[in-house]
Amino acid sequence: MGNSIRRYGVWVGIALVGAVCWGVLALSRGETVNAGWLLFAAIASYAIAYRFYARFIQKKVLETDDSRATPAERLNNGRDFEPMDRRVLFGHHFAAIAGAGPLVGPVLAAQMGFLPGTVWIIVGVILAGAVQDMTTLFFSMRRDGKTLGQMAREEIGPVGGVAALVAVLSIMVILLAVLALVVVLALAESPWGSFSIAMTLPIALLMGVYLRFLRPGRVLEVSIIGIGLLFLAIIGGGWIAESSPYADFWTFSPNQIVFALIAYGFIASVLPVWVLLAPRDYLSTFMKIGTIMLLAIGIMFTLPAIQMPKATPFAFNGEGPVFAGPLFPFVFITIACGALSGFHALVASGTTPKLIQKESQTRFIGYGAMLMESFVAIMALIAATTLDPGIYFAMNAPASVLGDTVQSASQAVNGFGFSVSPETLQTTANNVGEESIVGRTGGAPTLAVGMSAIFSGLIGGPALQAFWYHFAIMFEALFILTTVDAGTRVGRFMIQDMIGNVYRPFANPSWLPGNLISSALIVGAWGYFLYVGVNDPLGGINQLFPLFGIANQLLAAVALTVGTTILIKMGKLRYAWVTGLPLLWDASVTLTASWMKIFSPDPGLGFFAQRGAAQEALANGELYGTAQSADDVRQIITNSTVDGVLSILFALLIIIVLVDATRVWFGIIRGRKEPDLSEAPWEESRLDSEGQPVEEREPVGTGS
Amino acid sequence: MNPLRAIWEYLKEISGENAYDKYLVVHSSTHPGRRPMNRGEFYRWRQNEKYNNPGSRCP
Repeated sequence: MGNSIRRYGVWVGIALVGAVCWGVLALSRGETVNAGWLLFAAIASYAIAYRFYARFIQKKVLETDDSRATPAERLNNGRDFEPMDRRVLFGHHFAAIAGAGPLVGPVLAAQMGFLPGTVWIIVGVILAGAVQDMTTLFFSMRRDGKTLGQMAREEIGPVGGVAALVAVLSIMVILLAVLALVVVLALAESPWGSFSIAMTLPIALLMGVYLRFLRPGRVLEVSIIGIGLLFLAIIGGGWIAESSPYADFWTFSPNQIVFALIAYGFIASVLPVWVLLAPRDYLSTFMKIGTIMLLAIGIMFTLPAIQMPKATPFAFNGEGPVFAGPLFPFVFITIACGALSGFHALVASGTTPKLIQKESQTRFIGYGAMLMESFVAIMALIAATTLDPGIYFAMNAPASVLGDTVQSASQAVNGFGFSVSPETLQTTANNVGEESIVGRTGGAPTLAVGMSAIFSGLIGGPALQAFWYHFAIMFEALFILTTVDAGTRVGRFMIQDMIGNVYRPFANPSWLPGNLISSALIVGAWGYFLYVGVNDPLGGINQLFPLFGIANQLLAAVALTVGTTILIKMGKLRYAWVTGLPLLWDASVTLTASWMKIFSPDPGLGFFAQRGAAQEALANGELYGTAQSADDVRQIITNSTVDGVLSILFALLIIIVLVDATRVWFGIIRGRKEPDLSEAPWEESRLDSEGQPVEEREPVGTGS
Repeated sequence: MNPLRAIWEYLKEISGENAYDKYLVVHSSTHPGRRPMNRGEFYRWRQNEKYNNPGSRCP
C-alpha cells in the first residue's frame, strides 16, 4: 500500500513537472522562454505516455503474450531471424528510423513559431507516431515479419497492396530528391563543406578495403579510424576555405553539386556495397548517435533561451516564406518524422520484428524508439528557435525574395515583420566560416548555426563555432548521403522486382544490365526532382517539402489502416480507436493539404492556380512571381503541373486505401465476412525474459 | 561490470563486431562437424545478405 502510494507519487510529481512546463510555454508573453521548459515538458510527457498509454496498448489492446514464442525464437537461423537483446535491438531500430527527417522538418516548421511544432511533435508522437510504430511492429511480428505491403495485401486486399507499393516507390523518389536538395543547399558555394564531404569518399573507400581485406569484420576498429579521419577532414576544410586558390577550386555552384550527386548516386547504387555504402553506414550511424547525445548534453548544460515567438503571424495567414499554407494542415505535413512518419512502418515491418525476443518488448522498441526520435525532433526545434528570428528568416526565405546582399536580406526580413541588421548577418556568417548565410534554405544550415551556438557554448567558445558549424553540416550531409545511397538501392531493387514480374532476367539482382537500367531509372527520377528543385525560380524546398510530407503521411495512413483492420479482425472493435483516431486525423490532414495544393485559388499555395497564373503571365508577355525570364516562367508552369499531378495521385491513393479498408471493416462488423486473421500459430516460448533458454537457466538458490 | 566495459560490450554487440563469434556458437550446435565459414567469408556473406534484402530506413 505504502509502496503503491510512493510509486504513484512519483508519477504525480512527473505529471506536475510536465504541467508546469507546458503552462510556462503556453502562457509566456513577449519575453523569451528558456529551452529548459520545452525540454522538460517533452520528457515528462514522454515518461507518462510510455508508462500509461503504451502500457495500456500493450496490455489491453494488443495483449502481448510472453509465453508465446516470437518468430525470432521459432525460426532462429542466426541470420535474419535471431532473438536479439532488447537494448541492442533498440539501438538498431532507432538508427534505422532516425535520419535527417526529424532534423529538417521542425526547422522548417519553426517559421510558425515554436509552439505549434512543439505541440504536434509531442502530442503527435504519443497518440499517433509511436502507436503506429508499435502496432505495426507487433502485427508484423505476429506474422513472421511480413512487410507492410504484404500485410496490406493480405488484410485489406490486392488494391490496398498495390496502393502501398506505389506509395512506397513514389515517397522514395520524392524523399531522395528532397534530402539531396538539402545537401545541395548546404554545400553550394561553401568550400569548407564541399571539401569535408568530398573527403568522406576516400575515407569510406579506405574503410571498405580495410574491412574486406585487411581486418575483416573489425567494425569498431575501422569506425574509430574513420571518425578520426572525419575530424581531420573538417579541420582540413577550414584550411582550404582560408587559402584562396584551393578555396576557389572547392567552391561549387548548386548545379555542379546536383550533377555530382546524381553521378555519385548512380555509381554507389551499381557498385558492390562494401566499397562505399557499408562503411558509410557505420560512419553515419556512429556520428548520428554521438552527435545526438552531444546535442542533448549541450542543451541541458547551456539551457539557451528561445528567441522565436510562440506563434508568428505566418501560423494564421498562411503566407510564410519557408512554406506556404496555414497552420492546419501544413505544420502536420512539414513535421512528419518525430511526430508521425509512415516511413517507420517499413522498418517496423520486415526487419525489426524478426529479431524480437519477447512480445512485450514491442513496447520498448516500437513505442520507445519513436519517443526517442521525437526527442531528437524537439532538440532540432530548440536549435532552430534559439536563433534570432531575423537570422532564421534571412536564412530560410527563398533566395529570390531575399536578394543577393545582406542589405536586401535585412530589408526583406523587415518586410516579414522581423528585424535583423545587415551587420548581424555578416557577423554570423563570419562566425561560422561562410561567405554568406543569406538564403541558405533547406533547414540543414539553420540547424547547423543553431547547433554550433549550442556546441560552442559547451566546448571551445566562439573560437570553435566555425568548426562546430561544419561539424554539424558534415553530420547532416553524411547521413543524408547514406540515406541517398541506401534509398537508391532500395528503389533499384523495387524496380528490378517489378520489371522482373514481366521480364524474368530482371528479377535477378546481380544481372548487370538490369542493375544498370534500374539504377538509372531510380536515379533519373530523383535526379529530375532534385534538378528542378535546385533551379525552381520560386525556391525548391518550399515546393517539394509539402509533397514529401504528404507522401510520408500517405504511407502512415496505409500503416494505420492495416493496424485498424487487424484490430477489428482480432475482435477488438472497442479498441479500434487506438489506431483509428490517428488514422482519421492523418487522413484529414493529408487530404486537406492535398485539397489545398490541388484546388486552392491562391497561386502561392495551389499548384494549378500557380500554373494558371504563370500561364497567364506568359501569354501577356509578363514575368511571374520572382521569375527573371520567360524561361523561368515556363519552368514554373512545368513544375507546378508535375507537382499538382503528384498531389492528385497521392490523394487518390489514400482514398482508395481507405475505401477498400472500410469495405473490409463493415463486412466484418456486420458479420458478412469471416475475420481471416493470418497470424502465425501459437507456440510456447522456451526463452526467459532475458532471452536465455529456459532449460539452461541455473537453479535458483545454489549460492555462489 | 564497470561502465566503460559495459559500453564497449554494447558497442561490440550493436556494431556486429562479435557477430562472428556468435555465429560460430550457433553453427557448432546446428551443423556439428561441418566446416564453418572463416571470419572474412562470414562478414562478406553477412554484408551481402544485409544489403541485398533491403529493409528500409527512415529519412
